[in-house]
Amino acid sequence: MTLELHVWGPAFGLPSIDAECLATVTYFAQTLSAADYLLVQSSPSAVPSHHLPALYNPSTATWISGFDPIVNYLSTLQPPSYHHPDVTTLPSRVYADSQAYKALLTSSAAPLLALSLYVSSANYSETTRPAYSAILPFPLPWTEPLAVRAAMAARAAHLGMSSLDTDAEMERLEKEEREREAAGWVQIPRALRKAVGGQNSGVKGQLSPEMKRRIKLEGLAAEVFDVLGEVDFLEEENGEEEEEDKEGRGRIKVTLETKCLAFAYLALMLLPDVPRPWLKEVLQRKYAGLCEFVLEYRRKTFPESGKVLPWADRESDPAVSACDSAFSIVGRFVRAVVDDIPMLGREWSRWWALRQRRVAEENSTETQLVIRRSVGESERSLLLAGAGLTLLAINVVGLGIYWYRYRGLLGAPLQTWHRPLVGLGSFGAAGAMFAGLA
Amino acid sequence: MATTSTAAPPRKWWQVPRPLQKVFDTFPLLAYDVNALPARAQSATSGDLPTLYVFSTEEEALLGAPSFNPSCLKWQAFLKLAGVKFQILPSTNHASPTGALPFILPARSSPTDVPSPIPSSKLHDYALKYGTSNPPEVSALRLDAYQALLDVPIRNAWLQALYRDPQYIDLLDRFYITPASSSYWVRGALRHQLRRAAETEIRKTGPGGAASTALSLLVDEHSVYRAAVKALEALATLLSESKTGWFFGAETPTIFDASVFAYTHLMLKYMSDAEGEVEGEKDFILASRKLGIMVRSAGSGELEQHHRRLFELLWLADSNAELLDTKARGNKLLQVQLQA
Repeated sequence: MTLELHVWGPAFGLPSIDAECLATVTYFAQTLSAADYLLVQSSPSAVPSHHLPALYNPSTATWISGFDPIVNYLSTLQPPSYHHPDVTTLPSRVYADSQAYKALLTSSAAPLLALSLYVSSANYSETTRPAYSAILPFPLPWTEPLAVRAAMAARAAHLGMSSLDTDAEMERLEKEEREREAAGWVQIPRALRKAVGGQNSGVKGQLSPEMKRRIKLEGLAAEVFDVLGEVDFLEEENGEEEEEDKEGRGRIKVTLETKCLAFAYLALMLLPDVPRPWLKEVLQRKYAGLCEFVLEYRRKTFPESGKVLPWADRESDPAVSACDSAFSIVGRFVRAVVDDIPMLGREWSRWWALRQRRVAEENSTETQLVIRRSVGESERSLLLAGAGLTLLAINVVGLGIYWYRYRGLLGAPLQTWHRPLVGLGSFGAAGAMFAGLA
Repeated sequence: MATTSTAAPPRKWWQVPRPLQKVFDTFPLLAYDVNALPARAQSATSGDLPTLYVFSTEEEALLGAPSFNPSCLKWQAFLKLAGVKFQILPSTNHASPTGALPFILPARSSPTDVPSPIPSSKLHDYALKYGTSNPPEVSALRLDAYQALLDVPIRNAWLQALYRDPQYIDLLDRFYITPASSSYWVRGALRHQLRRAAETEIRKTGPGGAASTALSLLVDEHSVYRAAVKALEALATLLSESKTGWFFGAETPTIFDASVFAYTHLMLKYMSDAEGEVEGEKDFILASRKLGIMVRSAGSGELEQHHRRLFELLWLADSNAELLDTKARGNKLLQVQLQA
């Protein structure tokens, strides 16, 4: 039995660019032997759940996605290939703390990471986007990173740091200006505005958005790292027994999966080489323990020399080459484009994704994992999307015919030539003289 | 041309012409006293007591019963804990200055006084300032981590159950849909909107935790509930370590107790079967999709016990005295409404 783990591809010297995927790979590397699973470089549009990481078990044809569900699923598998981390022998306190810290990582560390790698325009265009381009086959870098960025921006929206996204900021300013123009307000010419003291002059104008918000950003980061700093992540090395006895409550201990998740988030904060490294600087300056944990853990789990991660070979492996064929890539690209059609595109994609998942569920032979659909909305949205798309198509075709036929886009459809009337006027000056008489 | 004189102040050429000036000088003819607010406003908005606006029904608000919205209930419980005297009124998000309930309108000191509403972000300070008994502050860094448990898995499970689970459609209608409109079409649209909003919220933290792209909408309810069971288990463990029976070993209940209570109370009240011991397999509990049962079976019942103690402390202890009081006030309110 070989499990297939579909994840985002490697970047920044780490096995995956996405935190959750990275956590899963880290967990697999420590609990499974390399012969028992296969890492497949993928993107969300290629898996039925539209979410990475996704685990595929070929023997039961089951798809599982998300870090937590995958870890759960692994624990239902049989040893010997899977080395269960000993959960039962740990005190229940450790287990409870681990749950809490896992929730903290997803609720607070994820938005921070989103701010640093995705929301900040400079970091995104210099570092993140090229990294995505490197791991995706050709037309997909046009669609997929955008979707990821949108999701990440939504993730971090509650922090109120959207000004880091200078593209969006410029767009907003331009829109405001157009509105003002339309409303008929007096306009100061652009050239004058700069001299008077507009956006780009003075010290403030020279500062990058990250510098302007530096204090608040550092505050946000500190809130998270202070809490994470309480955890003893590197416990194995420091002799675990002694510390516990010494004091009733020493540093907090957590389970392996929480460590993996913490490593994933912290590594993606610390390791990428970004042009606006505020998050990295905060970590390095004040939280040496966390940095040490990241480097140490990486050295231990993914040694430079030694065991290699079992990446699937693109050419030889049938499972991988199927989902990487040109045909499927074009299909994925087209679906992403359709998804961008306002209003209806999203409905259609919802329907498509639901259908794909249902097919995957029906194929699965494991009954316990079959998931009920929530509220019979799929049928209705199918009808709605179908009707809407048909209407749209009819409209587009009709509009095209109308333009072609009546608006003369390519010239009038019927060209007529009238023979000029032969009258007295056509006989020169003499004719003109007599025309008045006629 | 204007003529100048040395005695009068220098006249300027744009001065208002004298006849017009005379007309203006007669104004104001008479300044009336400021109108008092309508009599109904006195008791219906803010009377002698500060008013907390929450999601509730008319009858339950009169009795001061717990709100059915978790964040409203959290602040309602905390204000009671702090010993603030207040009344509650049903309201909607549209009425709130911040766009979200709850908010509190302080008591009016004079009939013309216009108190400014206090949004939920400042309610903590308000409670400490005006309360009679100060709930202790918890200063544990772990508090933030456990707060995240409430913010992510438990909140997601609540959203999933109430908004997306077919078995609670009636509950959703009763809470948010029926009071809002009587039109079939409006209700349908509202339901759809709420469901989508809940889905977006759950998706933000994803099936496994991290943000997911727009298409992985298919919120996997199984894993949402499983995460909630684990979170409740963790909270029960934390509670079992405390000697006082309140979280983090505090002497009296804290804000964290109020936040936990807000969820456990609603889950136990609306999302469990009739009272009685539920013994079952873990898988059976998961499959039932009833959050109340999950609360009850977490740990060895610590959460249910915690809920009962807090409920008795806040609602049952002074219920006899207060019930009469609220009833009297309710009658007065009705009378005033009839008169107006």
